[in-house]
Amino acid sequence: MAYTPQYGPGTSIVAENRRNQMNPNHDLEKIRDVTDEDIVMVLGHRAPGSAYPTAHPPLAEQQEPDCPMRKLVTPTEGAKAGDRVRYVQFADSMFNAPSQPYQRTYAEMYRFRGIDPGTLSGRQIVECRERDLEQYAKLLVETEMFDPALVSMRGATVHGHSLRLSEDGMQFDMLQRCVLSDDGVVKYVKDQIGVPLDREVAVGKPMDEEWLKAHSTIFHSLVGTAYRDDKEYVEYIVRVHTLRTKYGFMPKEE
Amino acid sequence: MTEARYPQCRIVPLRILGPDTAERLLNAVAGISGIRRLMINGPSLPATVPYGPARGKPNPNTNRRTITVGDTEVELRVQVGMLTAEVTDASVIAQIRRACDDIFTKFSYQLQEGQFMKTQATLTDYAKYGPDVDETFIGLVDPRRKETPVILQGLH
Repeated sequence: MAYTPQYGPGTSIVAENRRNQMNPNHDLEKIRDVTDEDIVMVLGHRAPGSAYPTAHPPLAEQQEPDCPMRKLVTPTEGAKAGDRVRYVQFADSMFNAPSQPYQRTYAEMYRFRGIDPGTLSGRQIVECRERDLEQYAKLLVETEMFDPALVSMRGATVHGHSLRLSEDGMQFDMLQRCVLSDDGVVKYVKDQIGVPLDREVAVGKPMDEEWLKAHSTIFHSLVGTAYRDDKEYVEYIVRVHTLRTKYGFMPKEE
Repeated sequence: MTEARYPQCRIVPLRILGPDTAERLLNAVAGISGIRRLMINGPSLPATVPYGPARGKPNPNTNRRTITVGDTEVELRVQVGMLTAEVTDASVIAQIRRACDDIFTKFSYQLQEGQFMKTQATLTDYAKYGPDVDETFIGLVDPRRKETPVILQGLH
């Protein structure tokens, strides 16, 4: 019988959303359109339209050592071309942001190739070859894993994920990289690290509260789904903790 | 150290305030007679990028601006998240509650009562102000900052 991954436990909508984001066979709903040039501008690693700087010659032009792993693994487009390794980092608000740092890492590991994610409490960074990165970042911004108000691309000075939201519903950002304009559209005025952009980059309107609650991947007893309401999830985590605690005593399940 | 303890309260809105609402709130609260000291808390909004690759570059931010409380100009260095007030007696807290009820109509707030300000000088305060410090100034400003507390004028 073929193995079918379960991705995670739980019967709540949060658990379902987590599984959907992780499952590469599930098509993430596309919510907004952001151009390639806009993504390149916000990432801030190279000028839009310029050639990709390289870290080494293209693989086709260099002599590869005789290595069985290299024969087994197909290089990504970025690796083939010898691109530099660059990053994108997202800060996700705890107030029902559609993705969360650990969730991002799980989802990206299932969906993308040639990545090196770094997971922290309020932010998640993913490093990979530049042209792969731009594709991945575009997918992460255009789909249901992003909300213009509660998720933002922040290379540095990321503080804000656990703070109360601002009056206009935006996640706090010391550098105010994106602003909610009068027409209700969130626009990036600075790149990831806080350098002002030549022109504003629109990333769409913030999603409403109902949508956020239905697409959240974080349990939150005050603004979303309470963790204790998902009995299966609690049972699973209790089992993990029990077995971990008893591990030194040769655990046996009863 | 002062012997008398005055009642204190803390206004905690559900959202972090923009400068306009902060200005309205401060004017409404500071206009009530019987308030001895006020303190604003919130996440910092520095004028230049403090760290990262863009360190030292200017940090334009619409939330950092100068607001007017009474006749006094107050330069906001934080996005207002909390307002702590020391008052002369408990009846003033009831007035603050009424003022807040008028301002926070779109989202809620909490008004907490307790002891929120420092009661005596710490080692850091001693290092900064010396032994003969005015007790009313203790704990009102971050000891690392050069700026002094703002004296509000033109309110009563």
